[in-house]
Amino acid sequence: MLEIKPIFHALCRSKVGAMLLLIQIAITTAIVSNAAFIIQDKISFLSQETGYPEQDIFLFNVMTFGKDVNVTQQFELDEAMIRQLPGVVGAAMSSSAPLTGSGSASDFSLKPAPQESLSVRTGYFFIDEHGVNTYGVKLIAGRNFTEEEVVVTDNFEKQANVTIVSQALLTELFPGENGLGKTVYFGDIPLKIVGVVEKMMGPWLKDSRPDNLAFIPFINATSSANFVVRTEPGQRASVIKQIEEAMLNNYNKRVISRIRGLDESKAEYVAQDKLMMRMLIVLITILVLVTALGIFGLTLFNISKRTKQIGTRRALGARKSAIINYFLVENAMICCVGLVLGVIVALLLGQILMQYFSIAALPPSYIIITAMGVFCMSLLAVFGPAKRAANISPSIATRTI
Amino acid sequence: MLKMNNISKMYQTEMVQTHALRDFNLNVNEGEFIAVTGPSGSGKTTFLNIAGMLEPFSDGEYFLDDINVGKLNDNQRADLRNQKIGFIFQGFNLIPDLNLYENIEVPLRYRGIKANERKRRIEQCLEQVGLASRAKHLPQQLSGGQQQRVAIARALAGEPRFLLADEPTGNLDSLMARQVMELLEQINRDGATIIMVTHDPELARRAPRNIQVVDGQLADFTLYQGAQNLKNVAGV
Repeated sequence: MLEIKPIFHALCRSKVGAMLLLIQIAITTAIVSNAAFIIQDKISFLSQETGYPEQDIFLFNVMTFGKDVNVTQQFELDEAMIRQLPGVVGAAMSSSAPLTGSGSASDFSLKPAPQESLSVRTGYFFIDEHGVNTYGVKLIAGRNFTEEEVVVTDNFEKQANVTIVSQALLTELFPGENGLGKTVYFGDIPLKIVGVVEKMMGPWLKDSRPDNLAFIPFINATSSANFVVRTEPGQRASVIKQIEEAMLNNYNKRVISRIRGLDESKAEYVAQDKLMMRMLIVLITILVLVTALGIFGLTLFNISKRTKQIGTRRALGARKSAIINYFLVENAMICCVGLVLGVIVALLLGQILMQYFSIAALPPSYIIITAMGVFCMSLLAVFGPAKRAANISPSIATRTI
Repeated sequence: MLKMNNISKMYQTEMVQTHALRDFNLNVNEGEFIAVTGPSGSGKTTFLNIAGMLEPFSDGEYFLDDINVGKLNDNQRADLRNQKIGFIFQGFNLIPDLNLYENIEVPLRYRGIKANERKRRIEQCLEQVGLASRAKHLPQQLSGGQQQRVAIARALAGEPRFLLADEPTGNLDSLMARQVMELLEQINRDGATIIMVTHDPELARRAPRNIQVVDGQLADFTLYQGAQNLKNVAGV
């Protein structure tokens, strides 16, 4: 038997405790649903497929201060030497590296600048014919660069004329058609698309088009260069240990620095996001605990305040289950109003976050699941105290307390 | 109707065993009005609690309408209490957040009586105690005497066979006490069996049958009506 009407009337007559609880439930629902969505967003961001075997790739910088060497030739020798090291699968010089937050981007257009045409922003790497193998990406159409296509130059007089692009970039440039073999323009430089890679992320994971990336076969060596090396699985640490010595043995008037795994580099780039995700998890855990404790405490307080009333109800014929039901229904009623309020606040909060922090619209499923979770949590929090109330002896009714 | 055979109630603490009731025997017939008196701590309230199934007894047998109360579980006792017994407490024990109507409705809801029937009974009982116009009032808006009349209405609404009253006039002034007592007498005349615990010898004398509890046992047994008859014969 559910005493909904008298409970409602009783709540209306002593509102303060119920109002406080209701507000707490509303705030919890609003914050938890939005935070849960942001956390889920961060989790999918952090665990997204990048297209690279990150655990097997490492990067390092070379800063050459010696003036008695042709760096372009030296780097060719270095690459060849690294490829000979045991456990190495591929090595290449790359103008920038993926997942690091640092690199170059430009617009690829269907017509040469300054003509107006479809234009798509993309990250790009200047890299030679070893790029595809070294990054371990999967070529799904077309072919790799040939050695002849790679332009090695000390100036920009000669330009590359082919490119390998990611599937995402190709689809955006040529929606609904096969773009392989077609020409795109890098500024006014025509580049024929000779290969398509299934998936490869650019330098910026937080970009709106993180997987728009193009390889351009162009080598313009300078005193500062980035190298990328891929090893056999499990061999990366041992190759990293010997890389500095091996490079300096080849030529010693230079500094080898920032040797780090691609996964480590990515971790550094996403550190803030990870921190934010952890903080949000802590926040919602605390919030839910505080709300649960609030409900628990308020019910205990209500029980101690109503001990005689509970005894009287028992004396008048209430079964223990009726007393438990009373508190569960009372809590459920407060909770329902709090949840309705919480859903409205959650939607408003979602709108504000979307407006000011470029977060996607809060899906209704998050609000519904959070509301259901908060409802269950509140019933669980009230069940213990309600059971305690049910054990109050009916003989309390005849005692003076 | 109510039969207690050698009922004992013992409270046990780590150090002490206290006998609140000891070999208590009592028979109550239908329609009786019994006043239970005795000094403080003698076991009156314990007797009332056991009679009303508010607490278990340690030993003996208790039959209410031939039902062996000792064999019932908690839910069965709650149901039996709800169906057969109406309680009137010294402190009224009205629920402060509920209005008079809702207060009287509480035991009826526990019995699962339908809303229409509840309404009919509540209005009838409020009429009977003279508070029909106050149905929407909260208990704290009434005087002590009025509150006790509401409590009596609540006890009557379930149409119980037994009314157990614990110092029903203990918190009332003499005028209100008299009014409440007259109401109880009227209810008894209408057929309900009443057992009333009281300290007030005046009230006790008005009950046709008096029993006295001393040290947890039935000390004396007086048919007040018989005494009254003798008084009448002697012309006192």
